[in-house]
Amino acid sequence: MSHDYKMVQWNPFKKRFDVWMLSGVALYLVSFITLTYATQPEGNSFTPIQAMIRATGTLAFLMLNFILCIGPLARFSHRFRPFLYNRRHIGVTTFLIALVHGGLVLLWYHGFSETNAFVSLFISNPRYDSISGFPFEVLGFIALIIMFLMAATSHDFWNANLGPGIWKALHMSVYVAYGLLVAHMALGALQFEKRPIFFLVLGTGAGTVILLHLVSSIASLRISDRIGHEGWLRVAEVRELEDKRAKIIRPVDGDAIAVFRDGDRIAAVSNICRHQGGPLGEGKVVDGCITCPWHGFQYRMEDGQSPPPFTEKIATYATRIMNGTVYVNPKPNPPGTPQAPSEVGGSNEQG
Amino acid sequence: MSKDDFFIGWAETPEVDRRFMLGAGLSIITGTTAVGIGISARQRPVGSGTWNMGEIREWRGIATSEPYGMIRTLDLDGTERTALLACQGKCGVSAKIGALAGKPVVVKGSLIHRGRHAMIAVVDGLDWIREDPDGSIDGLAFPQPEPIMDVSLNGEIMDSKCWFGAMRPARGKIHKSCASLCIRGGLPPAFYVRDMKDQTALMIMTSGGYGHNKDLLPFVAESVSITGQLQRFGDLFLLDAPVSAITRL
Repeated sequence: MSHDYKMVQWNPFKKRFDVWMLSGVALYLVSFITLTYATQPEGNSFTPIQAMIRATGTLAFLMLNFILCIGPLARFSHRFRPFLYNRRHIGVTTFLIALVHGGLVLLWYHGFSETNAFVSLFISNPRYDSISGFPFEVLGFIALIIMFLMAATSHDFWNANLGPGIWKALHMSVYVAYGLLVAHMALGALQFEKRPIFFLVLGTGAGTVILLHLVSSIASLRISDRIGHEGWLRVAEVRELEDKRAKIIRPVDGDAIAVFRDGDRIAAVSNICRHQGGPLGEGKVVDGCITCPWHGFQYRMEDGQSPPPFTEKIATYATRIMNGTVYVNPKPNPPGTPQAPSEVGGSNEQG
Repeated sequence: MSKDDFFIGWAETPEVDRRFMLGAGLSIITGTTAVGIGISARQRPVGSGTWNMGEIREWRGIATSEPYGMIRTLDLDGTERTALLACQGKCGVSAKIGALAGKPVVVKGSLIHRGRHAMIAVVDGLDWIREDPDGSIDGLAFPQPEPIMDVSLNGEIMDSKCWFGAMRPARGKIHKSCASLCIRGGLPPAFYVRDMKDQTALMIMTSGGYGHNKDLLPFVAESVSITGQLQRFGDLFLLDAPVSAITRL
């Protein structure tokens, strides 16, 4: 976790994942470029750089679509969590592919002139007052800058030093970048390539991303305040709590709470992982520690602290058991505050 | 769910996750590649122009700087032909012809051509053009533009160098910035028209007999209508029209 920062925290799984991902990237590029040349009419052919511009541009867009679908998919099925675990690698790779695309565009379309290429990017098409004529390259450039900021700060070092709030907000700007890229394609390539497949790919990609996020958001909406007791919120009957797992409680005010059961112990912590905001309540108690489903960050049940040498802390909450029902106090303790778990059948059980 | 079913990135990957990742990974790679193949196979034809950049040679003929830098030569196919002149990048060379205009010259460069349209991208440096002491202007002198008819045409303004073969594709909005830079740099603008029978024609654009330049930029790479005079200029067609005669469609 965070006690030591390396460029990439390699492990065998990540290495295998990257080999597969880079093989897929190579397969796409080779297939795209080969077909680009093979399917042109006799005597027609792309310049190699323009073929590469299209191959990298389309690939970066498709990969970004997949990246944005990983989050919702992982909420629907935990089988997608390995993709979520490696999402950062896919994101950085996507940025590098987009960088090649942008660099080639800058060189090819805006270079070889007395006008500075970056100046040309903004002035060569002055139709900022038109929708169909809008200079779409500018949209792609801004999206690339956002993707650069995200790739550059994707490391845990930045997460720890910027703080989870700023870091999360910065990385949520991927949605701004995605919107810009959809507009970049709609106002650029689709103004020239007007066959249905181009509209289909863009529409299906954007539609899938929007639909998955809508459904995912609806599924996790705060349903209601829970019927409680003296300000405590009802969680569930003790027998309803699965061992090693949690039930997520969403107070009307404040962050969601994950109430875990580990054998006879019941403890509540913030549902938000200190690392990247992963949903701890979808995790599991492993070796006595609450384990985040996203990247495996761990916290002790009794005080919300990561086991040494790690230093992350999350808020804890008081729990109690009355007449076989588990309740949680929705007022959070400061992160890392010791809070004794309730014991099933123990002396602190009331009723 | 057994303990092994819970995926933790830094721990050993559960077998069920391995199997899922293998299937999902293969499906995603296959699907993405299939989409890429579908896109690549459905791209518009990009044109047949070529630029033999590595084949530098000398071309003999008569040079002119108006309306654009050009050379009239027998070296293309043995007949009197006109080749436009350009630098290696996005600029014209008419201002550099200077006192050699109207004289026999030797030009060094590489050929860009598409069908019968030809352009010579001259080499960098000062020695790309020199007077030809053995040359003659007999039979190669540039004629006066010969009016054919007044026309009103719909089409697209583009830069001649890219359309002749420097870039493929070289039309439409995706090429607008490049075409604007080329025309801003002094490369001859061309007007490309396609009729209902899919027949195409290309005319070099002039205004009052002189070359266009930045005045055309608001209309580059867009569908426009131009009312002007069609002229024959040796083996070239010119469309002579002021910028005020151009209307965006």
